[in-house]
Amino acid sequence: MFDSIFAIIWIFIKIIAIVLPLLLCVAYLTYAERKVIGYMQGRIGPNRVGILGLGQPFADFLKLLCKEIIIPSASNRYLFIIAPILTIAPALAAWSVIPFSQDIVLANVNAGVLFIFAMSSLGVYGVLIAGWASNSKYAFFGALRAAAQTISYEIAMGFALVGVLLAAGSVNLQEIVLAQQGGLWHWYWLPLLPLFVIFWIAGMAETNRAPFDVAEGESEIVAGFHVEYAGMSFAVFFLAEYTSMILISILTVLFFLGGWLSPFEGIPGLQTAFAFVPGFVWLVIKTCFFLLLYLWIRATFPRYRYDQIMRLGWKILIPVALLWVIVVSAAIICKIGPWFS
Amino acid sequence: MMPLTSEWLGVNEKIMNKLKHFFKSFLLWELLVGLKLTGRYLFSKKITVQFPEEETPRSARFRGLLALRRYPNGEERCIACKLCEAVCPALAITIEAEPRADGSRRTTKYEVDFFKCIYCGFCEESCPVDSIVATSQMHYHFEKRGENIFTKEKLLAVGDKYEKEIAANRTKDSAYR
Amino acid sequence: MIELEIDGKKVEAEPGNMIIQVADAMGVYIPRFCYHKKLSIAANCRMCLVEVEKIGKPVPACATPISQGMRVFTKSEKALAAQRAVMEFLLINHPLDCPICDQGGECELQDLALGYGDDLSRYTEGKRAVDDENLGSLIATDMTRCIHCTRCVRFGTEVAGMRELGTVWRGEHMEIKTFVGKSLTSEVSGNIIDLCPVGALTSKPYRYTARAWELQQRYTIAPHDCLGSHLNVHVRRNEVMRVVPRESEAINETWLSDRDRFSYTGLKSEDRLNQPMIKQSGHWQSVSWEVALEYMLEALKKVIAVQGPEQAAGIISPSATLEESYLFQRLLRGLGCPNIDHRLRQIDFADQDSMPLYPGLKVKIADLEQQRAVLIIGANVRQEQPLLALRLRKANLKGAQIFCINPIDYQVNFNLNQKLICHPTLLPEMLAGIIKAILVKQAIEAPTTIAEQLKSIQVTEQQQAIAEALSVNQPSTILLGAIAQQHPQAATLRSLASLLAELTGASVNLLTEGANTAGAWLAGAVPHRGAVGLTQDKLGQTIAELFAEPRKAYVLFNVEPAQDCANPKQVTKALQQADLVVALTPYNTPYLQQHADVLLPIAHHAETSGTYVNAEGEWQSFAAVVSAPEQVKPGWKVLRVLGNLADLADFNYTASTEIRDELQGMLANHSLKVAKQVQPRINLAYTKHPLTRITEWPMYRVDGLVRRALPLQQAASHDSVGIRINSKMIEQLQLAAGGLATVEQAGESVTLPVILDERIPQGCALIAGGFAETEVLAESFGAITIHV
Repeated sequence: MFDSIFAIIWIFIKIIAIVLPLLLCVAYLTYAERKVIGYMQGRIGPNRVGILGLGQPFADFLKLLCKEIIIPSASNRYLFIIAPILTIAPALAAWSVIPFSQDIVLANVNAGVLFIFAMSSLGVYGVLIAGWASNSKYAFFGALRAAAQTISYEIAMGFALVGVLLAAGSVNLQEIVLAQQGGLWHWYWLPLLPLFVIFWIAGMAETNRAPFDVAEGESEIVAGFHVEYAGMSFAVFFLAEYTSMILISILTVLFFLGGWLSPFEGIPGLQTAFAFVPGFVWLVIKTCFFLLLYLWIRATFPRYRYDQIMRLGWKILIPVALLWVIVVSAAIICKIGPWFS
Repeated sequence: MMPLTSEWLGVNEKIMNKLKHFFKSFLLWELLVGLKLTGRYLFSKKITVQFPEEETPRSARFRGLLALRRYPNGEERCIACKLCEAVCPALAITIEAEPRADGSRRTTKYEVDFFKCIYCGFCEESCPVDSIVATSQMHYHFEKRGENIFTKEKLLAVGDKYEKEIAANRTKDSAYR
Repeated sequence: MIELEIDGKKVEAEPGNMIIQVADAMGVYIPRFCYHKKLSIAANCRMCLVEVEKIGKPVPACATPISQGMRVFTKSEKALAAQRAVMEFLLINHPLDCPICDQGGECELQDLALGYGDDLSRYTEGKRAVDDENLGSLIATDMTRCIHCTRCVRFGTEVAGMRELGTVWRGEHMEIKTFVGKSLTSEVSGNIIDLCPVGALTSKPYRYTARAWELQQRYTIAPHDCLGSHLNVHVRRNEVMRVVPRESEAINETWLSDRDRFSYTGLKSEDRLNQPMIKQSGHWQSVSWEVALEYMLEALKKVIAVQGPEQAAGIISPSATLEESYLFQRLLRGLGCPNIDHRLRQIDFADQDSMPLYPGLKVKIADLEQQRAVLIIGANVRQEQPLLALRLRKANLKGAQIFCINPIDYQVNFNLNQKLICHPTLLPEMLAGIIKAILVKQAIEAPTTIAEQLKSIQVTEQQQAIAEALSVNQPSTILLGAIAQQHPQAATLRSLASLLAELTGASVNLLTEGANTAGAWLAGAVPHRGAVGLTQDKLGQTIAELFAEPRKAYVLFNVEPAQDCANPKQVTKALQQADLVVALTPYNTPYLQQHADVLLPIAHHAETSGTYVNAEGEWQSFAAVVSAPEQVKPGWKVLRVLGNLADLADFNYTASTEIRDELQGMLANHSLKVAKQVQPRINLAYTKHPLTRITEWPMYRVDGLVRRALPLQQAASHDSVGIRINSKMIEQLQLAAGGLATVEQAGESVTLPVILDERIPQGCALIAGGFAETEVLAESFGAITIHV
């Protein structure tokens, strides 16, 4: 009895231990985004709240918290409120199977990849419902775009993962990471380079980030699916988006860059010199690189046209991914080293 | 990079160009070039001006808040010729005049509606006595309706307050007038 | 006809014309300062220099008569160079004060300097400065700006007939000065403001208040005399800023009297009535129009129902518009009351049935210039119709003989061949003398009506001369002025004048009061006739009777009873005892507060649309130039609503023009047949008082608006109220000129300064009407006593 209660409490503590830092990360990711984009545009970004503007995320949070949540009278009240929850819940749930290190993981599920895949696909329902429930043209357009885009890129993403699963021979995230052991050159980014790129591009599209942010498309449809949302209901969408960003970044690291593995593995001298660094740190560093890449890309590229997104997804990413899955399968059958031997 | 010329490959130029284009786009070449550009800017010098602490330098010809000036003896310069009112393209200036007790031509009402004013400076240019001038003041605001209309007293007060600066700016610009 | 060529265009013109006249006629502009089409040619500004083929030097276009085959070049290089050089000379001494000059923006010199002048002066020496002249309260001077075109001097000597301005010194030192430092007293002095091509002479009331480019020009008709001069009112932000003449050869040429020009200053008087008011148990209350109109109409209906329709009276100003007069009489007649009159200052109405459709001029105003002989009876033409006096002056300069019979030796701006100055009661006798002279001369039997009365009259040489001139010189004209019409024997005077006209072939012309006496007659604002002279079932009583036998209800339209009417004392008494006094008035005066029960604010002439019919019968319609303030409504609208409230038929006018058109339609379908001179009613008998009051309404006291025009009041300060009396009488009555004396009339007395005035005949004193001070006095030509 007490054991089971304790287990539940322990799980709660673990969840909080993941979610709280995660939300903090989200907060500072927004800060980082504004700073980085500012720098890339020759500006200096927020610098008024606190030292170097570090208090900015909290100021924004407080502002959003204090704002009125407006529910349009013509909207579907119930769905309108449930939509942001449906968006944030899968984005957070996916974190339950993420291994932060050799043995730090909330749930070491064997079908971890499938779980994540399922969760990230569920997020689009929140967007769809938000768009529909708002009863607004713009929101509806945004939702339709988001749905079509997510479904399209899910396929390419799936095929990219098939390559990883083939190479690792497992659907357990920890095992996938451990399968990449052996140093920088053993990580999957090299043998699965096209899949790595496809996964990353599809990941950006999945999270509705620039240059695939047609679902929001300020310049055309104002703010897309969340145009009618304000205050905390809007903030929840925002949180979900950034949580997904971090999730995709960490997944990329886990699948293609050896997760928590040290990049100096197998290099004499350096390996021992950096042996003291815990794997978690490597994971964070690698993840941060991808988060930076997210921002960098946003600061660099203009938004794709909708038909271009579709063309890229269906006519380029899926064929290339398929092709490389065949190549990888062939390489595994032929046991081509050093990765598939 | 190796010289990928058509001669070297021995293929016809058209196919060569197609190939080039294929690899260029497939390898995301242009995207990388773009990333390089923004990447370089990440480390470039920032041009942001930290506004309340710093300000961008303003020309002596800057056209900000309007003011009415006085002569050094305290006499208002304005002689109610109404040229500024006539030239104002936004009809922001309203003047009423009548003879003052000493018989001189003076305004009884000189109002500038700063909601209408477009700061073109025509009034300053038309003024035969340098009375209405554009100061370099640009930080001002109105809190209530009606405050946007500056009366003669207000405009003269602005002129009195910034007279040094106005005079200095006029001196600087005098060579070009 | 001479054929010549200007700027390559062939043109034919009468010989004797100057180049500039021909050029103006064909639309070729030649710059000029001193030339003015209504003034003589001075050729002293030299701005109009043009090149003429075969003449070596450039010649002034204004002073060079045209000749056959002349080839004129107004824009050739030589002409332009000459004009440019003249401009440079003119600018040598002209101050650079355009920004503070009122002429700026409408200045001929400024415009031409822009076209011809250099942007920099080569003249580095000091400029000339000239002391300003004090020309009174109407004209401001800046003599430094003067370019010596002498237009103002020529206007004074040629047109106005008063040499008040002249030039002194010569060359660069030349100055325009008043003779012996006087201010201008001419009643048309304002015209020199228009004439001055620069800012040397500007309007004082308008001084510094507006710029030409801010003003909107709107057209209207002058509201103060029976000529109906054409005006352009200059308006800024719904405020009348100034008045200038609008050229009209038939009426005012290019001139305007000071009264018409400056009366706008009275528009913004402080005692303006802005909302309807009713007096309830002695207290004035501001009420809405609905309440006021209902209240007034109920009270009026009650008086008519209870006391009878003859107990109500409507008095309307002779300066009310045609539409107002028409609706006013329709309203009152509709309510059953036939007592309507507009003849505020008249006393004698004996001949009203034999009056024509409307009194006025038989001669066109412009044709007055062509008259060969003019007899003025009881008129101070210069004050009453200043521009008419200018026409008479023109006629006089062309050789017309002008005579006058006046109780006061009025100053005129033309030569009087004969003047008969007599005691006012003797006016008919004087006129009868002329008639007798003609009868004797032509050996005609005198009409039975006056044969007996003529017997005792001695014909003087003067009368004989006048009789002679009137019958010999044709066309000839008899003008009856205000005094003749306000005279206690006005009917006799009119009849005598008609008789004289019959004998001599002259035309009889009445110089009527107000701006719209003719219109008031046409509109039916007289007790005995309806609109367009239609006969009435119920005849009303005249204004004299209406006040002499007090009524129970009075409706006053734009009348200040005590200052506008012939017998203020009687009027006041009548109003005091009345149950209901309704005043439709632009002003809220203490007098009205005391005597009226309902005050309805009506618009000024400038704020209403309407029509004035001038003395020559010209219908001149105008629109409102500004909108009325606050609750004030145009009079015709008030009357229309009253008509609707009273359920009178056909009172649904939407525009004043509809009312005018209705009247015009009626006029076309109806012509008044006045029984041909019902036999002139002539009665030379008079009662002679030991001391008779002569009453005239000075030029700037004729109506409420001018009385409130401060600059005009200041200009007329020499016309101030007082007992005007000649030196002999002063001695006789033991008064002191400049001292105070008490006048007693009909039991009322008032103390006024004694003013020495040698124009006044023996046995009379001139005590003007239209002043608050003389409000207590009684009839215009009644007996008075004066003591210290």
